[in-house]
Amino acid sequence: MTPSRRIPTLSRRGRKLLRWVALALGVACAWPGRPEGWFSTSLVLPALSPLTALGGATAARSIGIIALLALPGLVLAWAVPRFLCSHLCPVGLLQELVSRLFRRSSRSWRGFPAVGLGLALATLAGALLGYPLFLWLDPFAIFNGALHAWRAPLAVGNLLAGLLLPLLLLVELVWPQLWCRRLCPLGATQDLLRYSRRALIPRPPRGAPATTGARSPARRWFLVACGGAAGAWAARRVQAQPPPLRPPGALAEAEFAGVCVRCGNCAQACPSHIIQPDFAGGLAGLLAPRLTYVSDFCREGCTRCHQVCPSGAIQRLALPEKRRAIIGLAQVDLDPCLMALGRECNACVQACPFEAISVAAGPDGFSSRPLVDPPRCNGCGACEAACPVRPLRAIVVQPAPRGSLAIP
Amino acid sequence: MPPSSPGSSLPSLTRRQLVRLLAAAGFGAPFASRLVADEAPKGAKTATVPENKVVPPTPRDRYPATLVNGKVIQPQRPLAVLHETDVLVVGGGPAGFAAAVAAARTGAKTTLVERYGYLGGLWTGGLVLLVYPTHATENGVLTKVVRGIGDELLGRIAKFASGATNYNEGRRDPTTDPELTKLVMDEMVAEAGVKMLFHCWVADVVMDGNSVRGVVLESKAGRQAVLAKVVVDASGDGDVFAAAGAEYEQRLHAIGLVHRVGNADRTDLAKLKAAGFKSLGSVEPLASVKWVNLRGPSTDGLDVGELSRLEMEHRRTIWKRVQQLQQTPGGENVFWLQTAPQLGVRITRLLAATKQLTNAEARAYTKFPDTIGVGGTYGSGGKNPGWPIPYGALVPKKVDNVLAAGRCICVDTKLVEDMRLIATCLITGHAAGAAAGLAVQSRCRPRDVAIPQLQQLLRRQGAYLG
Ligand SMILES: Cc1cc2nc3c(=O)[nH]c(=O)nc-3n(C[C@H](O)[C@H](O)[C@H](O)COP(=O)(O)OP(=O)(O)OC[C@H]3O[C@@H](n4cnc5c(N)ncnc54)[C@H](O)[C@@H]3O)c2cc1C
Repeated sequence: MTPSRRIPTLSRRGRKLLRWVALALGVACAWPGRPEGWFSTSLVLPALSPLTALGGATAARSIGIIALLALPGLVLAWAVPRFLCSHLCPVGLLQELVSRLFRRSSRSWRGFPAVGLGLALATLAGALLGYPLFLWLDPFAIFNGALHAWRAPLAVGNLLAGLLLPLLLLVELVWPQLWCRRLCPLGATQDLLRYSRRALIPRPPRGAPATTGARSPARRWFLVACGGAAGAWAARRVQAQPPPLRPPGALAEAEFAGVCVRCGNCAQACPSHIIQPDFAGGLAGLLAPRLTYVSDFCREGCTRCHQVCPSGAIQRLALPEKRRAIIGLAQVDLDPCLMALGRECNACVQACPFEAISVAAGPDGFSSRPLVDPPRCNGCGACEAACPVRPLRAIVVQPAPRGSLAIP
Repeated sequence: MPPSSPGSSLPSLTRRQLVRLLAAAGFGAPFASRLVADEAPKGAKTATVPENKVVPPTPRDRYPATLVNGKVIQPQRPLAVLHETDVLVVGGGPAGFAAAVAAARTGAKTTLVERYGYLGGLWTGGLVLLVYPTHATENGVLTKVVRGIGDELLGRIAKFASGATNYNEGRRDPTTDPELTKLVMDEMVAEAGVKMLFHCWVADVVMDGNSVRGVVLESKAGRQAVLAKVVVDASGDGDVFAAAGAEYEQRLHAIGLVHRVGNADRTDLAKLKAAGFKSLGSVEPLASVKWVNLRGPSTDGLDVGELSRLEMEHRRTIWKRVQQLQQTPGGENVFWLQTAPQLGVRITRLLAATKQLTNAEARAYTKFPDTIGVGGTYGSGGKNPGWPIPYGALVPKKVDNVLAAGRCICVDTKLVEDMRLIATCLITGHAAGAAAGLAVQSRCRPRDVAIPQLQQLLRRQGAYLG
């Protein structure tokens, strides 16, 4: 027979060992206490997911180098049924552990419909329209999100983002293996890969009729995919207006809100701690990372969030491009502005790393005021963080169409 | 023995020896007795003198410049030495004041020279009355960084009923009354035993090779020299280190003119605000008075043409604004009290020192082995830690026996805005004065003072080093 039929797989013990190693590595790679220089290791696990890679790349209409990390998983899942589940998935292993320790229910998953397949199909179909609906249900992203949730500062958004994993473990107690077998969209993606393989390398002799009634599931899945597309279409229409400030290099809000897998990597990697998952993005952008410049700003020499984004929601930009990436636009409120009031304050002008703020004369010919030069302002928030006015700052970065500044 | 400078007409003598010789020969005597009160016969100044009394003219050597082939030539001439001292501080602004008191308190014989008739510089003469940033947030706690001499001064001003706003326990950044500020500065300088020379404009330096040995000053008595072991340049514009040939950087910055309005408490602010006046001015201890800042255009503060133009232009602008106020309902009672005697020159020369303190370093709160003070913060709501200031930022690269203090020390473009504020000038002035005193005590060049000893001395004098 064809060699692909008999792929030499590991023994049961070998697989088990591999999964433990994967769990340990997964924890180590995203552990909040790991050395500073290792910040980018959190990328590895979520980027291994073919679902994240396919959904992200399709929705963003661009494929980044990080997507290559998902290629081995993709090929192996194509060759071996549910390869990632049986060799890698730390969430599955945790669920098995919980099951073994506190087994309460013996309910079987078998009768349950293949919801996961629907989720995966809807996600990929939605991705075609720019909003991969359920990318955030990828277990690898959920795993990282839970680990990151414990970093300071404690906030509702952080905690909620980390709640999915405990929820899955709870589901496991109530209904063993339901998530893995019937709900997980990553598991279902692997099934889809298998189906495609079967379609390409058919096992039954060519021409023989397939299973009777095959039409009806095909139509069902087609309808599900159409539903996914419709969902994506709808999600793109319920964007928060104006969209909140996102990390530099973020896709346009309509795509960003869906492509972001909510893994929390960017928030954890940010040395300024200005990235937080929260509710400002509305339903479509729920718990996606938002920038706030309360105590710090987006450092001009940093590309960390770009380096850890597994789905391409934050594009992987080199430093010069990152410095040009528009986050927002600083706007001055002259009422509380100390300079406009005649105080010897220069804080925003001094803080701006891009010389985008100058001092201008007021219309009375007497007062002075800070003046933002929009072609130079990328919305990094240095001015907002430096402004001494309280409680509301006199200079605030407001949302602006994302894109790139013409001036370097 | 330092080599004699080129061009000296007496090759066997250094300039310093020459000057000393001339001084010993009695050249300076008649002038010295005129100018320095405590060297004059006791009681001479206090005896009652009938007004409009005729006295014999003060003898004065004349060495006028002459026109030679269309060029103005200054003749070589001996200068009278008015006075000899250990530490000479040039400029009586916040930095110079703190430097003089600090040096005198080390036991060094100290002289303070000021071109105008009062202390305080831009603070009192420029009517820039808000002293900040006096605090920083150190380890999460609001901490006073202006301590020692600066804090003593502010505390004494605040004791007067209308001396200062905002200088109670836990309050930061006081606004002081300019006259009481001058008065307390006078008192503290006198108490420390500083010899005060007002109305003397330092025009040049006395060099000995690469070392500054004193200054040449102009006054009503003509041109005279003051010799010193160490000179602190607190002129704000680096007049001394520039004359000494030290490397520096020259900048253009906004030049304004502060004015004050009276009857501030007899206005209807709500009405004025409705008419578009954001505020009358900044608060002062006296409710009836406000000081009004003016930023002005960025230009060369060393160019007398520019300074003269701006004096007149700014006064016109100010009068226009005062008139507008008076014609606006609610502002009828406002009157123009005064414009500042000193034009608001923010930055001109910055010393090129052995160490340039950068904004990035300050933003990262970088600590230095030679930290001599900690600057306060007001940006970010004052929630940031203070930024340590290294001694190296006061020490010229090559020229010896001179230290910079105040708004002409060595920082980069951005940090200028923090460095030049009054509170920071009090800190760098204190440090420069203490270092000068220590250099005299240890008989070494200021650049060679033992840093641990300097830091110990500063701490003993109450300074905050983090
Ligand atoms: C318009 C304006 C507004 C400001 N607002 C504020 C504010 O709100 N808060 C704040 O903290 N700071 C403010 N500043 C900054 C601050 O006032 C000055 O930077 C600070 O006073 C500098 O202190 P200094 O001692 O270094 O120099 P100065 O205050 O300039 O003092 C220098 C002294 O040296 C004297 N001098 C100069 N040259 C000679 C010479 N050749 N011979 C003899 N004497 C000489 C001068 O007469 C002067 O007294 C403001 C500045 C300006 C211009």
